This record gives sequence, C-alpha cells and structure tokens, in this order.
Amino acid sequence: MNGFLAIYRREVLSLWVTPLAWVLLTVFLLLQGAIFYSIITHFASMAEVSVDTGPVQAYFGQESIFLLMTLLLVCPALSMRVFAEERRSGTIESLLTAPVTAASVVLGKYAALLTTYALIWLPTLLYVVILRKTGVVDWGVVASSYLGLMGIGAAYLSLGTLMSAMTKSQLVALLLTIFLEFGLFILGVGEYIFDPGVFRDVCAHVSMMGQMEDFSKGILDLRRVVFDGTVTALGLFVTTRVVDSWRWG
Amino acid sequence: MIEVSGLTKDYGTVVAVRDLSFSVGKGEIVGFLGPNGAGKSTTLRVLAGFLGATTGRVRIAGHDIAEAPLAARRALGYMPESAPLYPEMRVAEYLLFRARLKEVPGTKQKAAIGGAMDRAGVRHMAGTVIGHLSKGYRQRVALADALVSDPPLLILDEPTAGLDPNQIREVRALIKDLAGDRTVLLSTHILSEVEATCERAIVIDRGRLVAEGTIEELRARQNSSVVSVRVRDPKANAETAISGISGLSLRSVDADGADAGRRTLHVVLNPEIDTEAATEMLVRALTEAGIGIHALIPEQASLEQVFSELTAHEKATARISEPGSVR
Repeated sequence: MNGFLAIYRREVLSLWVTPLAWVLLTVFLLLQGAIFYSIITHFASMAEVSVDTGPVQAYFGQESIFLLMTLLLVCPALSMRVFAEERRSGTIESLLTAPVTAASVVLGKYAALLTTYALIWLPTLLYVVILRKTGVVDWGVVASSYLGLMGIGAAYLSLGTLMSAMTKSQLVALLLTIFLEFGLFILGVGEYIFDPGVFRDVCAHVSMMGQMEDFSKGILDLRRVVFDGTVTALGLFVTTRVVDSWRWG
Repeated sequence: MIEVSGLTKDYGTVVAVRDLSFSVGKGEIVGFLGPNGAGKSTTLRVLAGFLGATTGRVRIAGHDIAEAPLAARRALGYMPESAPLYPEMRVAEYLLFRARLKEVPGTKQKAAIGGAMDRAGVRHMAGTVIGHLSKGYRQRVALADALVSDPPLLILDEPTAGLDPNQIREVRALIKDLAGDRTVLLSTHILSEVEATCERAIVIDRGRLVAEGTIEELRARQNSSVVSVRVRDPKANAETAISGISGLSLRSVDADGADAGRRTLHVVLNPEIDTEAATEMLVRALTEAGIGIHALIPEQASLEQVFSELTAHEKATARISEPGSVR
C-alpha cells in the first residue's frame, strides 16, 4: 500500500510537471469546445426540441462519435510513456528493486493515469454550467454520462498501460494502443452494419457509442459496466504478469 | 549477509553467469571484479532482485530472494550501473519518493533524506531538477538513494564510473566511511579501486568465479614472479645472455637515461622452476656475460598482473570448453 501511494503520487507529479498532460489538456479542450459549440449552434437554430433530446444528450449521446474520436487520441497519448519510458531510461531497475510488488507498481501508475484523465474532463463541467443558465439540466443524466466516460477511459487506459509495458518505445506503444482501441471502436460500429444476429449483438454490446447513448439517457446498463470493468481488470492483470516476467528476460 | 550458491543466469542461449557461489559476511567491504562483460552487472541485478536466477539460490540477510523477495529487497540499498533517475524531479523530491517506496516511516523521512544527502554530498543541490545535474552529481544522487533507507547491505554497481579523480576519491572515502556495521559489495573493473577500498575481492570472468580472497591472498596467487635487476651493461648484451637460459624471460628493459650503460631489466622467472635456483642462474648468466649487477629487487605482484593472468587463463579454457556460450 505504501508503494502504491508513493508511485501514484510520483506519477501524477511527473505527468503534470512535464508538458505532456498540459498539451493533451489543451488539445482536448480545443476539440471539445469546437464540438460543443457546433452542437449548441445546431440546437439554437431548431424551432422546437423534444424532451428527450437536448444539448447535453447530444453531446454525450447521439453525437458521441466526435467525443470518442478525441478519446482515441488522448488516451493512448496519456498512457504511452507509463512503462516504455521507465524501461528505456533504465529507471525501472531502481523501481523494481525497491520493496514493492508488481501489482502496486501497475496499480499506482494506472491510478495516476485515471486521475489525470478525470482532471482533463473536469473543465467540461463548465459546459453544463453554461447550459444551466439558459435552460434546465438533468443532473442525473450528467452524472451517468460522466460515469460512462470514466468507464470508457478506464478501459482505454488499461489497454494503453498494457501496450506501454510491451515495448521500450513510446511511439510503438502509442501506435499499438491506437490500433487496439480503434479496432474496439470499429467493432462497435458493426452494430449499424451487420444484419440482426449474434455478431450484431456482440458489436452492440461492446460499442462505446452505444454505451454513451444509453448512459446519456440516464440508463445505467450493468452489462456495460461489467464490460468496461472486465477490459480494465484484464488489461491490468496481464500488465502485472508482464512486469513480473521482466525478471526472467 | 549475502550467500550465493550455484547461481546460473542465462538469457536464452547466452549464459551470463555460470554456477557462481560465494558469500559475503556482515560488515565486509567486498570488491566484485571482472573485465567488461564478465557478468558482474547481471550477478548484482540478481542479488538486488531485478533479475531472477535461472538456477541456484541467493540469500540476502537470511531471506531467500525467490521466497521472500520483499524482505530481501528491504534489507538492501542498490545503486544500478549508470545511475538511472527521473530527470523531471528535484533531488529532494526524488529522495522523498524513494524513502516512501522503501517504507521509511513518515516521521523519519525528513531526517533520512537529509542524512542521505549529507553523506552523498548533494545537500546544496536539494532543489535542483535532476535533469540539470552533471553526471557526477547524478551518480551521487543515486548513491543517496541507496543510502536513504539506511540498509544494512549496499550493492553498488560501478559507483565511480564516469566521475573525475576528485569525485572518485570522495566516493571511495564515503564507501570506507560507510563500513563498520554495514556490508558493501561493489563492482568495478578498476583494480586500484579494490586495492583502495576493499578488504576482499571476488574475481569473475565469463560468468565464472576465478578467484576469491583478501587482497594479499590474491597477490600471492600470481603464478610467475618478476625480479628487476639494475645493471651496468655498456655492450647491451643482457638480452642474448638471458635468452639462452630456459626458465627465464626478459619482459622489458628500462634505460636509465643519462648513462647509456645503466639499465634496469625486468626478468620473469618461470613458475615451474624454483625461484631461488632461477635467481642463481640469472646472476651467473649476467656475470659470465660481463655485466655488472648493481641491485636485484623482487617485484611485488600488483593486483593488475594477477587479474590479467587469472582472466587471461580463464579466457583460454572457456574458449576451448564452450565456444558457443561466451557472452
């Protein structure tokens, strides 16, 4: 537990004293701002709006493809250096000869990534605050939407951590993660392509867009939570095994 | 403090360390010697718990590193080769991180960091970003890191590599200063370092133990002895006089400069012949050739010579027995 906390604190510090987190934050907020702005202008030009669709639902739900595309860029970039850099610079040797378990190392680093991911999303709460000035905002929907985003981020960052542990090159880690996560994303698009059947059901089940559409309506589908949790746990478990395996390399 | 028995470490087809056994007692300062690529770093990495042994057992402070890895790692401070550090952190920040990681209790952390910085001489750099430090200071920060939890055992991989002569002297003094109740195992390929700091040395080559003992014992292991002879030899016929005798060979000749006739001969006595008999033969040969002998001084074997003999011999046998498994 000591080891976990020490590593967590160091990783958060390291992410925010180097430019990486700030660059990602800037790019992310620029993209989100553009998406949100276009959604708002779209709704402003509409004559009437039904109860179930509003800017919040559109941003997190129907139009979530834009938001997810930015995540496909931000999450792999956030996680790429987490192990690759330690192995390239050799600091992994000091880290693993300290009295810490591989699990504390992996979880400490992962928790720091997840915290940073949450911090990057934090400023977007302002969008909701702005909307509240002109209309009614359903805070339950806002909460479930952010929960959905955290679920997707947790899964993406877990896969990114695993990919970063697989290579000493940050670039290779970045590309592998984008490849993997884009594959997962495309699989979800299958929901709209395939005929009804088992395969379409699988696609619908793993679809990140589907997840955001459900969560943005306030539907907390346990299956989706279980899916995110499974991907996250599997990624972290395999990463722990990979870290352990370095002793035998 | 350290017990190694039958340690073998291979990287796939390459054997880095082969059936290595040695032990280091409490309070000893031991030099771990070998030419580059001998398997020093690999062995130290296994001892520090960074790499797993392929076969064999290692016990650190009584804890088996395979069965109780955390307890073993808690007992040691390890300084890896080339001192890897996080460049974005400040020195004090880094040491605080390391102290937390090594389970230094919260109330003692400040004192532990201060003490480690004082010992390694980096106190005045506490607020500097590590990335801005020179190589010498980084090395010292890594040393402070090894000291921060005040472990009973220090494993230092080439602690003086890349330092200037003043810094080397300081680090050596520090290591000697640390001795007492602390055990230190340090690797190096520089022999004078072992002579300067260690009581005992372990010599490995090609992953195998070739010698172990105190510095004096190692010196005594030298096979051939050398005598230097100061002579008056105006006709310079010492070479021919000595080359005629089996059991003697001339290693080098120093001219004494001002007087061309005065020279110093360094003669190697073949170990198969009794030293006394060989010396008599040498004196007789020189006198018969009309050379005047001024002085006859047995040269003290330097560790340098012993080392090159030990490792050169080992190289030859390794090449014959296992040509494919040389790292």
